[in-house]
Amino acid sequence: MITVQLPSFLLVALILFCVGLYGALTKRNAVVVLLSIELMLNAVNINLVAFSKYGLHAAITGQIFTLFTMTVAAAEVAVGLAILIALYRNRETVNVDEMDTMK
Amino acid sequence: MEVKDIFSYNWSYLLPEFTILGFATILSLLDLAMGKRSNRAIIGWLSLLGVIIAGVFVTLNMVNLNEPVSYMADMMRVDDFGNAFKLIFLAGVACTLVLSLAYMKYGEISNQSEYYYLLLTALLGSMVMASSADLITLFVGLELLSLSSFVLVGLRKKSLLANEASFKYVVSGSIATAFTLFGMSYMYGLSGTTNLYLMTERLAEAYNGGYAFLVLLSFAFVLVGISFKISAVPNHLWAPDVYQGAATPVTAFLAVVSKAAGFALVLRLLVTAYIGLISPEGQSVLLENLSLILTTVAALSMIIGNTMALRQTNVKRMMAYSGVAQAGYILVPFATLTNLFFEQTVFYLIAYLLASFGAFAVLMVVFRDQETEELKSFAGLYHRSPIIAIAMTLFVLSFAGIPVSAGFFGKFYLFMSALLQKHYWLAAIMMGTSVISYFYYFGFIRQMYMRSGSTEAALKVPAGVAVIITIMALATLLIGIVPGALFDFVQANFNPNFDFGSMMTPGK
Repeated sequence: MITVQLPSFLLVALILFCVGLYGALTKRNAVVVLLSIELMLNAVNINLVAFSKYGLHAAITGQIFTLFTMTVAAAEVAVGLAILIALYRNRETVNVDEMDTMK
Repeated sequence: MEVKDIFSYNWSYLLPEFTILGFATILSLLDLAMGKRSNRAIIGWLSLLGVIIAGVFVTLNMVNLNEPVSYMADMMRVDDFGNAFKLIFLAGVACTLVLSLAYMKYGEISNQSEYYYLLLTALLGSMVMASSADLITLFVGLELLSLSSFVLVGLRKKSLLANEASFKYVVSGSIATAFTLFGMSYMYGLSGTTNLYLMTERLAEAYNGGYAFLVLLSFAFVLVGISFKISAVPNHLWAPDVYQGAATPVTAFLAVVSKAAGFALVLRLLVTAYIGLISPEGQSVLLENLSLILTTVAALSMIIGNTMALRQTNVKRMMAYSGVAQAGYILVPFATLTNLFFEQTVFYLIAYLLASFGAFAVLMVVFRDQETEELKSFAGLYHRSPIIAIAMTLFVLSFAGIPVSAGFFGKFYLFMSALLQKHYWLAAIMMGTSVISYFYYFGFIRQMYMRSGSTEAALKVPAGVAVIITIMALATLLIGIVPGALFDFVQANFNPNFDFGSMMTPGK
């Protein structure tokens, strides 16, 4: 049986994190920005779960931590979308580069 | 490890947190029961009551406890460090509530009761952050604070500025959270535990076991994430927009309580977890390598904050950049880590709290009166209300660090610690940027005393705001005259049981 080693997991997580960061910083559409942030947070989950099985001191705590991060990420995106809706009502746009009232 | 069942703990030491939680819950239910048209000010007063009761409980804990109390393997922890920060948070939120009660009369916020209990949940989050030594609870506390403040910023739903500010705050906040978490995941992976004290030992093992790069990487990620909360340099760009868009009491809350909570996190997370690292040459890694990173962040924050503040004409944006610079100053003790670093940090935070709340109270009244947030709204203030102008002068002097104000001694202690640890260039940057800051801080004084305003009528100050301004001005002046009293008080009552003694490097 082939086992996947820890570095592969970490690499996937790192790539996912970078893709998310790139998306969050460059995309125009606010919803896509929120999605990209979710990618970054999910990269963390991969890390935590991989570490909880293959880490230096493998322990179940990482998986428990994952449950907390998932819950909080959901709450965060809910708040983000709610604020986006409030913004859309006033501004009629979801494009990030049009949110430039303050200078 | 022996498993204790949860009923065997003495939970009474967590009464401050339970009080805030209870008040937030009951007030949100009360809000549902109240009629649609009834006055919500009562909820604000009840919140203030809750904050005061929690403050009494924290003081009782301070008096009664000599040893730190730990719950569920340090998931929660009541110690002097936490108590000091909790008192700062509680004082900050109490001031915010008093300002808010006056602000609500302007009628810009329609969901008043939400505003009050979100302030309480934000307070609860920061209190949890200050009193836990475990990654999971630290993270949950941090997010409770962040999520509540995202909504608080956006509560003026009809205002486009507030909408934009809160959306920017959510996006940059979530990115910062992702960075913090990513760093935390490496911290966890290298140590296999979420308990910070156990982590100290295991990170040191990992560091010398060939994983030094990953340990440093985790430090960098967490630092970038936390710099968002304290609005220090890599992550400071949100501050001007959010400060401008938020209601003034919320801005004051972000500037003081949220920032202080960030520093509690720096202390808990970075200092505790990484202080045990010893390089193969027997040097402390925190003092040698990592302090260089912290010094750079501090120096850049001072330079960028103070120079960008020069260009601003909007006062709130100016305060935001000045806040970036202040964050740089408060980072100095973390970079120098003398024996007195905790006292220095708390002293500076208290001085900063006094000056900030005083200044924001004045700003709120002046903005409302002049209906603009530009610096020229201060024109001729001395001729209208001399006492307010003198109080504002005192706050500005305290920010700038000029004698006979609390801020002078705050800065003086930091400066001495930088000299003591031979961080000469950091000390030089502190001096240089302080001089730059005089230009924009004196802009207030020029406007207040030397320009003539559009009106000569006395400024109307609501009673609550007047009380805040008076208390803050007197306290700033008093600490400026007898700084030793506060310093000794902090030293005597909040000697953090951090066990630095054994962990500091030999010879320092």
